[in-house]
Amino acid sequence: METARGLAQLWPLHLAVLIIGVVCQLIGVRAIPIGIGTILLLPMLFAFALALVLNPNVVRAATAIMPVRRAAAASPLIVVAIMPFIARFGADIGPGIELVIRSGPALLLQEIGNLGTILLAFPIAVWVLRMGRESIGAVHSIAREPNIAIIADRYGLRSPEGTGVLGVYVMGTLFGTFIFAVIASLLSTAGVFSVEALAMACGVGSGSMMAACSGALAAAEPGAAETITALAGSSNLLTYATGMYVSLFVALPLVEWMYRRARPEDPGSARGRTARREGAAR
Amino acid sequence: MTAADATSQEPADDLAGLESSGPDERRIALGPTLRDLAIISLISVPIQAIATELSVPDIVIGLAVLYGMAVLGLLLTRYVPLRLPSVAWISLVAVLFTLPMLPWAGVIFPLVEGIDFLALAVPPLAYAGFAISSLEIGVLKRSGWKILLIAILVFAGTYVGSAVVAEISLRLTGAL
Repeated sequence: METARGLAQLWPLHLAVLIIGVVCQLIGVRAIPIGIGTILLLPMLFAFALALVLNPNVVRAATAIMPVRRAAAASPLIVVAIMPFIARFGADIGPGIELVIRSGPALLLQEIGNLGTILLAFPIAVWVLRMGRESIGAVHSIAREPNIAIIADRYGLRSPEGTGVLGVYVMGTLFGTFIFAVIASLLSTAGVFSVEALAMACGVGSGSMMAACSGALAAAEPGAAETITALAGSSNLLTYATGMYVSLFVALPLVEWMYRRARPEDPGSARGRTARREGAAR
Repeated sequence: MTAADATSQEPADDLAGLESSGPDERRIALGPTLRDLAIISLISVPIQAIATELSVPDIVIGLAVLYGMAVLGLLLTRYVPLRLPSVAWISLVAVLFTLPMLPWAGVIFPLVEGIDFLALAVPPLAYAGFAISSLEIGVLKRSGWKILLIAILVFAGTYVGSAVVAEISLRLTGAL
């Protein structure tokens, strides 16, 4: 799509990222103690928040500094910008390979834990919030790009299932890093789980969420930083490789089945796309 | 991948853009990607200088090694007929360069060891903040608090679910 975009149009964006990056790194890690633990706010979270404030799509007044078209150019740069980070993470897996192999069974098994999305969110969506088939798209996964592709392929993005997956996608894009930083900080200071288990759980198949999650863990336990990156990195790599298949062959059929059992009266629980569309009302 | 439904009331290209953000990365032009990667690596130099005790030449060398790993990963994404996202290939390349049993590990790992991984995550999140479009803001306004609550439960669910299974398996296998 953006083959011939010149450097000239992009440099104000890069400059803005440079300034934001330097400012946020100078702010450093901030700890906020709350009753049940400590929330660690990382420079990467400040960077995201600051860029949001300067984003003309979010704050109208920012158009003066950053025109809408220029901000749009940022999207394909995210995946490029995450590459050095991913390489640095991978570089910790090598030296930690003994630990990774020793933890192999746990690493493989905890991939099943990703179905926890369904366990926790499905009952609330269906029985408490009385949501319709949106819940299928919303709870089957953490709604990253491969999961959107699966839902788009099977139901179309304008179906209720599509609305559900897009809703969680957007919430994850906006608040995911923050949510993971908070959960990881709280659990690491609560002392119920070992740091190894918490590190593995960070590998959810999203680079930025893993960054926020393992960053919060590493800031809470600086001595274990290498263990954390090795385990989080290998778990994340495993999720990159398996996540889409688990989502397609396990999570989605499971949540479809649960929904049909929970709502046999929903016209979408019978077969056929047209019936599904009519079941959309909420 | 399916085309956006023809019956939509909204501009279809918005959602089509999201759909095509799926896994096929082979068509991405390599040249501009390498240029952007170089610029972003340069942006990381002052950030690393603040975050670490390294000298500027050491930072540049470390980032250059990571750049090289990313380039190799991108080439593998393009030419190996096994469909994995580029970030997975880049991870694998990095693992291969730092495995202690391989002869080059002693050379490569010390070069990147000092680079702070948290500070490397700052630029991507800044770009992510700028990349939020009117589409996302529109979905946010339409979905409301129910989807936000579900999203929080989804993220907490995957995290706590994985942590519970990991903790139990680590204890049972005696790895702790």
